[in-house]
Amino acid sequence: MNEEYLWDKSGEPDPEIQHLEDILGGLRYQPIPLELPSDVQPDRRNRYVPLLAIAATLLIALLAGVVWLRLQSHAPEQKLEAKSDQPSVPSSSPNPEIVVPEGQENVVQQSTQPRRRELVASNVRHRSKSNVVSNKEALLAKEQLMSALRIASEKLNLAQRKAQGPTPNQIRNQHKIG
Amino acid sequence: MKSLFHTFPRTPLLVALLVVLPAITARAQDPRIQLTHLDHLATRASETVDLNFDERLILAAAKIFNDKDEDEAQIKKLITGLKGVYVKSFEFENDGQYTAADVEAIRAQLRGPGWTRLVNVTSKKEGTVEVYLLMNGDQIGGLAVLAAEDRELTVVNIVGPVDLERLAKLEGQFGVPDLGIEAPKTKKNDDK
Repeated sequence: MNEEYLWDKSGEPDPEIQHLEDILGGLRYQPIPLELPSDVQPDRRNRYVPLLAIAATLLIALLAGVVWLRLQSHAPEQKLEAKSDQPSVPSSSPNPEIVVPEGQENVVQQSTQPRRRELVASNVRHRSKSNVVSNKEALLAKEQLMSALRIASEKLNLAQRKAQGPTPNQIRNQHKIG
Repeated sequence: MKSLFHTFPRTPLLVALLVVLPAITARAQDPRIQLTHLDHLATRASETVDLNFDERLILAAAKIFNDKDEDEAQIKKLITGLKGVYVKSFEFENDGQYTAADVEAIRAQLRGPGWTRLVNVTSKKEGTVEVYLLMNGDQIGGLAVLAAEDRELTVVNIVGPVDLERLAKLEGQFGVPDLGIEAPKTKKNDDK
C-alpha cells in the first residue's frame, strides 16, 4: 500500500482506498446554494432582538441623561444666589423711562440705549429683591434646621441614656425617697 | 454583536437587568422614610413639629452658618453632605391618640434592606425608643430615630452621611439645656 496517496494523492492508488473514495464521493461538499422549501420561512424575529436591545439601552441612557441634567440645573441657580449676595450696581445711574411720541424715528433711535439701561437696572433691582427673599428663606431654613437637629440630637441621646439604663444619680434618689 | 446575541440569546434580557437592577436596589435602600401617613395625627395633637429639609434647603442654610463661630462651624460640618433632614413630632394631651399601626408602618420601612436597628429600648412606662442606621458599605447612609411614648410620637429621619457623635453633642448647644448625662467613656472610667 502506497501511503503517499493518502497524504497528497501522489503515487499509485490503493484499490481499496479508491473504492472507499467512490462510495463516499457522493457526500463530498458541493458548492450549491441551499434551497429551502417554499412553505418554510426563516424566522426573522431574531434579527430585530439585538437592535431592540440596543435601542432600549440607548433610550434608557438618554432618559438617565435628561434626569441628570435636570438635577444639575438646580446647581447653577444656587451658585448665582451665592454670588449675588451683594448685587452689583451699574456705574451709570439708571435713566427714567422715556415716553417716545409716535412717528419720531430719530427720538426712538436715541431712546433705545437708555431704554436698555432701564431694563438692565430694573432686572438688577428685581434680582436683589429676590436675593433678600432667598436670604430670609435661608435664615428661616437655618433656624428650622437647627430645631430639627436639636430634636434629632435629643432623641438620639434619649435612646443612648435608656440603653445605658438608669444613671447612678437616679438610683441614689430612689433610695432617698424610699 | 450579532454573534454575541446569537451565542447568548438571553443577552438582551441580561443587559436590561443590568440597567434596571441598580435602580431597583437604589430604591430598595432608600434612606428616606415616608412619613405622610402620620399627617392625620396633627389634628389630634396639642403640638406638632413637622420639619422637612431637602438637600437644596440644607445647602441654602449652610451658607448662613458663620464659620468663625465654633458652634456654628461644628453644625455646618454636621450638615455638610446631608441629603435631607425630616422630623415629625406630635405631642398629645391624652394617651392612645396614635395607633400601633401608625408606628408599625414606619417600622416596616425600616425593616427594608440596608437598615440596621442599632438601639431598641422598650419600657411600659416610658414607651419605645429605636435607632436605625442605613449603612452604605462602611459609611452611614441614613439615620432614623423612632420615639413612641404614651403622649408623644417622634420620628427623625436624616438622609446622608451623618456623624452620630457630632449629632449627639448638639444637645446642650444654642440654648438647649444639657441634661448633664455623662458620656459613656467617662462613665467607664468612673466605674474603674
